[in-house]
Amino acid sequence: MFELELERVISEIESRGSKRVLLQLPDGLKPQAKQIADAVTSKTGAEALIWFGSCFGHCDMPLGLDVLKVDLMVQWGHNRYHKTREDW
Amino acid sequence: MQVLAVDATWTKEIVLGQEVLDYIKENNVKIVGLFASVQFLKCDTVKKQLADAGCEVKTTRAKRTDVEMQILGCDAYHDSYKEDIISVCDMLLYIGDGLFHPKAVLLSQAYKKNMKDLILWDPVNEDMTIIGKETIIKQLKKMKANIAKYLMSKTVGIMVTTKPGQQYFDNALKLKKKLEEQGKEAYIFLDSTFETTYYENYTFIDSWVNTACPRIGFDDNVNLPVSIINIREAWNPSVALEKLE
Repeated sequence: MFELELERVISEIESRGSKRVLLQLPDGLKPQAKQIADAVTSKTGAEALIWFGSCFGHCDMPLGLDVLKVDLMVQWGHNRYHKTREDW
Repeated sequence: MQVLAVDATWTKEIVLGQEVLDYIKENNVKIVGLFASVQFLKCDTVKKQLADAGCEVKTTRAKRTDVEMQILGCDAYHDSYKEDIISVCDMLLYIGDGLFHPKAVLLSQAYKKNMKDLILWDPVNEDMTIIGKETIIKQLKKMKANIAKYLMSKTVGIMVTTKPGQQYFDNALKLKKKLEEQGKEAYIFLDSTFETTYYENYTFIDSWVNTACPRIGFDDNVNLPVSIINIREAWNPSVALEKLE
């Protein structure tokens, strides 16, 4: 199975003082969104929102989240992405 | 807004199946190029199995990734990797599930005369699959046809995504200028996802150039009624066409 690192995520939410958190999961992990959202809400008190659509990579982050006052986005299944400026 | 990434690492030990070891023996493999998606990077046992089978293991870092051996779906060009290990390996081995990432390794060989097969070991289903040129032949044929059409096009649409991680607006502006200097018309289109159903509304566009995710120009291409190429091919389409022959 895949390690969701819920303890680390909860600890990060608490240490950052996040109040509204967006959870973004690749298709294979989307069925676990309920488990994650319930854990985030019950253990941190933060409001957990679930991204409905695509999660193709770390390059594929949702837009317009500041308007919704989302202060932390947690994306599963990807790590840091280095965008190369030169030559695409 | 802050962002936190969670790898979602596969928790079980990754062990190559006997079919992979048999393949190595039957094909007298000496050098293995090892690739994996981020969930499956804990390959200590795999590396030991390969060493025990008498194989040298080579890894590289794809330029957009954060870790050695990891590949992304966008690592689909020959220079996407820090080192060209593909040329020197007898066997290419990918650890992971799904086809999106390993197809990038095949696509990165699009301009090579002899494309090497890729052996996939899926730790989730404990299953081996071999994929080769036949897996991407439709993409390559469409790519050639679309480059040829782009060369003949009078009016070009250049796609720019608003997603920051895939947004290359500066390159789109440069290409527009270049096309206009060649006497062509070019228009820049903005969107976040470029839904396939919208292209046909723009009947005045002869040919499209994608500057967002490279896989739009490789994969989406096959099912679209319009012609799209990636910006990489748009700079020097004649050279790209020649290399694909």
